[in-house]
This record gives sequence, C-alpha cells and structure tokens, in this order.
Amino acid sequence: MNAPESPRVSLFVTCLADLMRPSVAFASIRLLEQAGCVVDVPLQQTCCGQPGYNSGEYEATIPLAKKTIELFEHAEYVVAPSGSCAGMICHHYPKLLDGQWRERALALAEKTFELTSFLVDVVKLESAPAITTSLPTVTYHDSCAGLREMGVKEQPRKLLKNLCDVDVSEMQQSDVCCGFGGTFCAKMPDISEKMVDDKLRNASSTGATLLTGGDLGCLLNIAGRARRQGLDLEVRHVAELLSGDLYSPAIGEGE
Amino acid sequence: MEQHSQQFKENAANALADAGGVAQRDILALFTPIMRDAAVAEFGPYEALRQHVKRVRQHSLDNLDYYLARFELEATNNGNQVHYADSADEMNSIVLDICQQHGARKVAKGKSMVTEETGLNDYLQRGGLQVMETDLGEYIVQQAGETPSHIVGPALHKTRDQIRELFLDKHDLGERELESISDLVGEARVVLRDHFLQAEVGIIGSNALIAENGYSMLVTNEGNGDLCANLPNVLIICTTLDRVLPRAEDATAIQRLLVRSATGQPHTCYTSFYSGPRRAEDADGPLETHIILLDNHRTDILASDYSDMLRCIRCGSCLNHCPIFAATGGHAYGWVYPGPMGSVLTPLLTSLEASAALPNACTSCGRCAEVCPSAIPLPDMLRDLRHEQSVEKITPASWRQGLRLHAWLACRPGLYQFLTGIGIAVMHRIGRKKGGFRSLPLAGGWTSKRDFPSPQGKTFMQQYRQRSRSNEQ
Amino acid sequence: MSSESRARIMARVRSSCAGNDAATIERELAGLGVAPAAQAPHEDSCVTFMVNVLRNQGTLDVAADRSTAVKLIGNYLYQHYRSHRLVAGNDPRLAAMPWRDGGVLPRFGEIEEGEQIALSYARWGLAETGATVFFTGKRNPSRNNLLPEHHLVLVDADTLLPDLESLWREVNTAIANGSRPRGIHCIAGPSSTGDIEGQIVYGAHGPRAWHVILMGNVSPEQQEAARALHAGKTGPAPA
Repeated sequence: MNAPESPRVSLFVTCLADLMRPSVAFASIRLLEQAGCVVDVPLQQTCCGQPGYNSGEYEATIPLAKKTIELFEHAEYVVAPSGSCAGMICHHYPKLLDGQWRERALALAEKTFELTSFLVDVVKLESAPAITTSLPTVTYHDSCAGLREMGVKEQPRKLLKNLCDVDVSEMQQSDVCCGFGGTFCAKMPDISEKMVDDKLRNASSTGATLLTGGDLGCLLNIAGRARRQGLDLEVRHVAELLSGDLYSPAIGEGE
Repeated sequence: MEQHSQQFKENAANALADAGGVAQRDILALFTPIMRDAAVAEFGPYEALRQHVKRVRQHSLDNLDYYLARFELEATNNGNQVHYADSADEMNSIVLDICQQHGARKVAKGKSMVTEETGLNDYLQRGGLQVMETDLGEYIVQQAGETPSHIVGPALHKTRDQIRELFLDKHDLGERELESISDLVGEARVVLRDHFLQAEVGIIGSNALIAENGYSMLVTNEGNGDLCANLPNVLIICTTLDRVLPRAEDATAIQRLLVRSATGQPHTCYTSFYSGPRRAEDADGPLETHIILLDNHRTDILASDYSDMLRCIRCGSCLNHCPIFAATGGHAYGWVYPGPMGSVLTPLLTSLEASAALPNACTSCGRCAEVCPSAIPLPDMLRDLRHEQSVEKITPASWRQGLRLHAWLACRPGLYQFLTGIGIAVMHRIGRKKGGFRSLPLAGGWTSKRDFPSPQGKTFMQQYRQRSRSNEQ
Repeated sequence: MSSESRARIMARVRSSCAGNDAATIERELAGLGVAPAAQAPHEDSCVTFMVNVLRNQGTLDVAADRSTAVKLIGNYLYQHYRSHRLVAGNDPRLAAMPWRDGGVLPRFGEIEEGEQIALSYARWGLAETGATVFFTGKRNPSRNNLLPEHHLVLVDADTLLPDLESLWREVNTAIANGSRPRGIHCIAGPSSTGDIEGQIVYGAHGPRAWHVILMGNVSPEQQEAARALHAGKTGPAPA
C-alpha cells in the first residue's frame, strides 16, 4: 500500500501514446507505481498542441494550452513519457500565454516532468522488482526536446543500467535530430529521409538490434524508415523496456 | 545578390542527389562540432563569457544611437570618412564613387558577407573595375562563378580535384604540378600577391566597430584582410551599423567567442585593429580610409521582435551544427546567409514570401541555439516566422486548416476521443498484420519515405476507461 | 545622398532605443563587469605565453641577452636560407642590437620584393593568445609583418601581458598619451588557411613561418614547463 506521503502523479499520456502505442502509457503507470507514486489519468486530456504550435498556428493552440493547464494544474506532479510534450508544457505554454494564464502556465511548468527524469531525479527509482528478460544490444536515440529542453541524457541510461542491467551501446551523433520534427518530415521528406538514414546508419554501426528512446514521434519515424528499408531493427519506447514489456510487437512490427 | 530561396526544396533534392557532396558535408558535420566543443571546453568559463557578451551586445543595441554617434565621432576624428547607406545599392554606389574618384582599376577584397549581400562585386565590375577576392575560399568561389556555401568556409563544398581543374583553367601558368592542397594554396598565393601589390583600393569588412576609440577589428587566419587594409592607397571598410560595441575589450571578448565557435581555434592568426589613414609617423598604410555603415533593414530588425538576431556575430556555428544544413549545403538556401541564422535573416532582409521555405527548414531540434555564442533563440524565431507566414496566408491553406482543425478537435475531448477511437480501430484492423502502411491518405509526405507504423490496438483512453469500469464493478 | 541616409538611419535607430542619457548608459556599461579570460595552461604568464606560441604553430627561441638573441637569429637565417640578411623596421632598439655577434646583416626599412625574412620587435607579448603585438609605424611597417616568407619576432620577457584586458589597458594608456597607432597587429602564428577541404596549410598569403625569440630572464624550469605542456596537449587545429 502507498504511504500517505506518496507522490501523487497525474499522467500526461501524450496523443501518440494514446493513439499509436498505449503500451507506453501503461508501462509509464507501472514504473511510476513501482517508484511508490499514486497515479491518476485525467480523462479529458487529448494533445499538448505541438503540431499546430510548431507550425506557427499560435492562435489555434492557445485554447488547447489553456484546457491542458486547467486539467492538470491541480496535480502534485505531471509526468509525460515524452520530452517534447513535457517541453511544450514547461517552455512553450509560458511563451504562448500572457498575464494570469502565463502565471498558471509557469506554475504548471514547475511540476511537470519527462518520465525518465522524474523517475531518476525526483522519485529516485533505483531497482526493478525482477529483471525480466535479458535484452539484446541496445542503442539510445536522444530526442532533441528531451535532451535540450528537459535535460534528459543520463537518466534513461541510468535506469536501463539499474533496472534492466543494460549498458547502452552509444551511437555516433546520438544527439543529432532523427529528421522527424513533427510536420517537418512531411513538408521536407527528402531532407528528413537523409537525416533518418544517418540515424539508422549510426544505430546499426553499434551492432545494436534494438533502438530505444523517450519520444514516440522520433521512434515512429525511425521505425517507419527501418521498415521501409527492410532493416532488422527493433524499435521500442524506453518505458516499455524499463517495465519489462517486450512481448507485444515492436513499433511498426506486424502481429 | 539574386535570391533563389523559393526553390529550396528542389535545391535540396539536387544537393542530396550528389553523393560526393553529401559525403563531404557529412565529414564537416561530424568534425566541426567536435572541434568547437574541444575549444569551448578548453576555454573554461565559457558560459559566463557567453552571458557577459550577450549582456554587452544587448546593451549596445539598446543604446545603439549613443554608440553609433560616438563611433562616428571617434572614427571621423581619427581621419576616416564615415558614410551611411540605407540600401544595398547605396553602399555599392558609394564604393564605386570612391574608386572612380581615385581612378582605380584594381580592387583587392577581403572576406565580407555584407558585400555578398549587396552584390558589390558585380556592381563594381559593371563599373569597369577589376575586383579580386583575396580570401582563398572567396577567391575559389569567385573564379568558379559561384557564391559562398558557408559564411566562414566559402568553398568548403568544393573538392581539391575541382579546385585543381579550376586553377588549371583560370591561371595561365603552363604545365605544372598541382597535386596537393599545398600546391593549390601556393598557386593562389602567387596569383594574389601580385594583385595585392597592384590594387589601388582595398575593401574589407569588420568584425567589430569600437565606439570609444573609433577602431575597427578584423579577424582572419590568412592575413589577406590585413594585406587589403595596408597595401592599397585607399581602404574601404564595408560593414553594418549593428557591429558597434562600446569598448575595445568588448570587441576582444567577442573574439574569444567568435573564433572558438567558428573554427574551434582559440583565436585566429591575425587580429588587427585599424584606426584610420596613414600619418606622418607611418611607414605605410592607406592614404585615405572610408567606413560605410549599411542599414539594409537592420533598423527594421532592431524595431521588430527579432532584434535578438542583431546579436549574431557570424561565426557559422549554427550552420555547422544544423542537420538540415549538413544535408543540403549552403547553396540550397538560395541567398547569402544559409543555415539557421540565414533562415531567420533572409526573410527579414528580403521578404517572407520569397523565403517561404526557409523558416520551415527546421525540426526545432535546438542544436543551433545550444551552441550559438550569442544565445540567440533561433528555433523560437523560426517558429515565429512560421506564425507570420500563417497569419499572412503564405502557408498553404490545407496545412493551416488541417492544423487548426486538429487543435479545435483536441479542445473537445469527447468528440476527439470518439473520432480517434474509430479511426485508430480502422487503422489497427487494416495494419495489424503487416505492422505498417506503405501509403496512407493525407500522409503522403510521411509515407513517401517511410512506413506509417500501425497503431497497437484500441486507444489508451478506450482501454483505460474499460479497465477503470471493470475495476469499479 | 549619404547625409540624408544618415539622418534617416539615425532617426530609425533612435526610435528603437531607450533614449538614456550618457551618464546612465556609461553607468550601466560599467555595471556589466569584465569578461572572463581563457583559463591559462599555467599560472605563470611567461610559461603560458611560450605554450601558446608553440600551439600557434610558432617556433620559439629563448635568449638571456641581446647578444644571444642575435646569435640565435643568425642560426635561424643560416639554417633556413644559408644567408645573413634580413629586413627590419627603423626601430632604434633593433638598430642597437649587436648584429656582428651573430654575423647578421640587417637592412632597415620596408620589405621589398625578393626579401624573404623580416624581423620585428614586438611591443608586447600576450600570454592568453600567444600573440605578439605591434603598433604599425616606421619602427614596424605593417608590410614587414605581412609579406615575408619568415617572420621573426623579438619579444622582451618583461613586456608579457596576461590577457586581452591588460593589453587594452596598455593600449588605452598609449592612446591617452597621444600615440594612437594607425594599426594594431596581434599576430599569433603563420598565415594559414583551411579553405580547401578543411586541411590546414601555412603561408596562405603571408609568412609560412613565425619565429619568436623571447628575450630576458626566462628560467630553464619555465622553458621545460612550457615544452612539457605543449608536448602533452597541443591546441585544437583550425578548421
């Protein structure tokens, strides 16, 4: 049972986990509970608004940002299994809003975290109940927003070591963008293709057969390109690995 | 300079089809960040320096009227003639006038992006002058009839073989060895030495203008800028009004950032400061010196929400760290300034419409802002430009409407979850076996290059509600 | 017309500025403090200077006195050119060197075509960058710094300055005393370029070699410390 002082976490599911890969959200809940948190999932949540915001549709994004703030501002902590969604809330809502709303956005930003950094830096999760399967050689893609906006770098590696006994095989240029960039990959497919191919080449050069990361956008892009190229690379969100959920098909894999 | 930014995507596709060019850019994109990081680490208190310079630059821009007037006064007292040019054409015509007054025929030019911006070389050549670029990279690009592909390394897109062919074609020097890069540099040295000695006018840019003493700072490795500044009888410094800094030590503080960010060196071989024309106690130097301060929309930028961009010190670090620049090279951007700084500056110095693709040539990865020595929020500015494009309806209507519809729907959780529930169920049913889609309506951009992974099953929200309900029962 | 442009530009600049008075601006500027300098490889400025000269691809000789300096210069000329000749500016300090001690035949004036070696007497040496600093003038014509194949520079050890800020204190004092130089050259290495495929080549336009003769009281321990530091880690090469 959870002690009365257990951290209470509201999960920001993210629209990509909601629609494309619910297992990431369930894995996040398990990990948070394992770390002694009480988790709730506000049911009225949808999307943080990045697609429109990053394309410059500020006016359309403002009502969505306000909705999200209203829904989450009473939480003790807000945790998202995505650096870019957490970054949107922490860094971009305050830019988008003025006056009272800006204050509310800043207050929400104070208590909003990316999953792996919350697990390591705040609740200090250090072990798993049982190590499940032994993993193949794993490489890690540092998603841009997580890395540069939320300071996510060592945390997922530390968790992989402590929970799964995995040492990440580091790829060259792991901190360089995979070419996803939200609508960018659809607006400029040729350039995006070159970037994701570079990522796949760097990943394969490590000998890894499993690529993981903290942002589904990037992982969908990388997995989608790997599938198109016929590469034998398993792509999974780091939350799935950490919670031992390795049995469902990987991203882009058939049943 | 003529602008081809509208063809950015076609330019990029062409650049990506050139395997040799791609390989060369990959190497630069791998090594330039490593060199910069090593130089920054060796400096020590780099972040403190960066914040200090940012504050000084901001202070100079906040009080630019004061410092500009002070610089003009000091520079004039030092014997310079100070000119102001509103537009590119005005700067060009001031330069041509000065050359004609002196009956000049040959001009030796140091590296200057400002004169690329104004198209000075063409202008002077039309005026009957022989203009020779003397920075090796600029010289190569000029001989090839091209434009610089990088603001610091103008000819880094060319291979030694291409340059050998170019020199064999352009230099009438008979049979000779031109095997190594040293041979090529040596040949350019000989050709350019004559030109330095013969030119009547030297033209250089400026890395900083110092208000307190009227000096202009020049930073080079080759020393070509110094030859232009010291050998010809007339010196013209072509620069922009935002280069003004309060004190000499502010200029050298910028130099500490600039060189490390640009090439990963702690400093360049030559750092020089010029105050004005030759005097009685001098053995050499120009008899007459001019400083032309170009505006060309800088004051518009100063008055806009993009004024942070004027803190840019033209180090090229954002180019070296941008994966899109690495993929396409500088020429794809279609104007003078490529990469992230160019994608901000080009719309501001030309027009948003003519540069429509550039603010979109960005994944908001943030690597540029992370390394920018002036801490310019480049991705935020690019996003703001995309916002302006949307407001001005430069963005295609389908994109605007689609994204607005998405945001509108996302504000209505009941409807959003209902519709996404249906859509995801359909996609899952079709895609579950194969795991992904090779093509998908409305996602042609995505599926042209990659499969669209199939959704796992029901949405999280559907599953979570179901579980909550069964837990309650 | 340029004066009309000036008025228009100045008006636009003014409209974007804060409109503070000079006293406020100067006060604010003073409050911004001083930029941090590069961390030195060694606490002793003389060692740092020598390390940085070597990292700048310079060559270095140390001479306890003027006679030794002349001998070292003579050796350098003989090694590289089998010659005794060089050109030097009209610097009384150079004129007073005991040239006969090294068998060197200097010509005083500006470098001319065919002359390959120039000697300059630096006003200061700068530890932070390993640069030799000159004021242009009759004592040091700028072309003597820029046109030779080999540039030899004498630096007095007691003129070494730790960082760029201390250099400006000296220069500002000189300017305040009425000797504002036309040009200030901070030279930190031979002329170089990386413009072809990023490969560094020396002698792009100016000197292919830059040789510093540090003159004065420099101990063997200081020299050893500099050589050791340089051998341990050379500075990053230009792009």
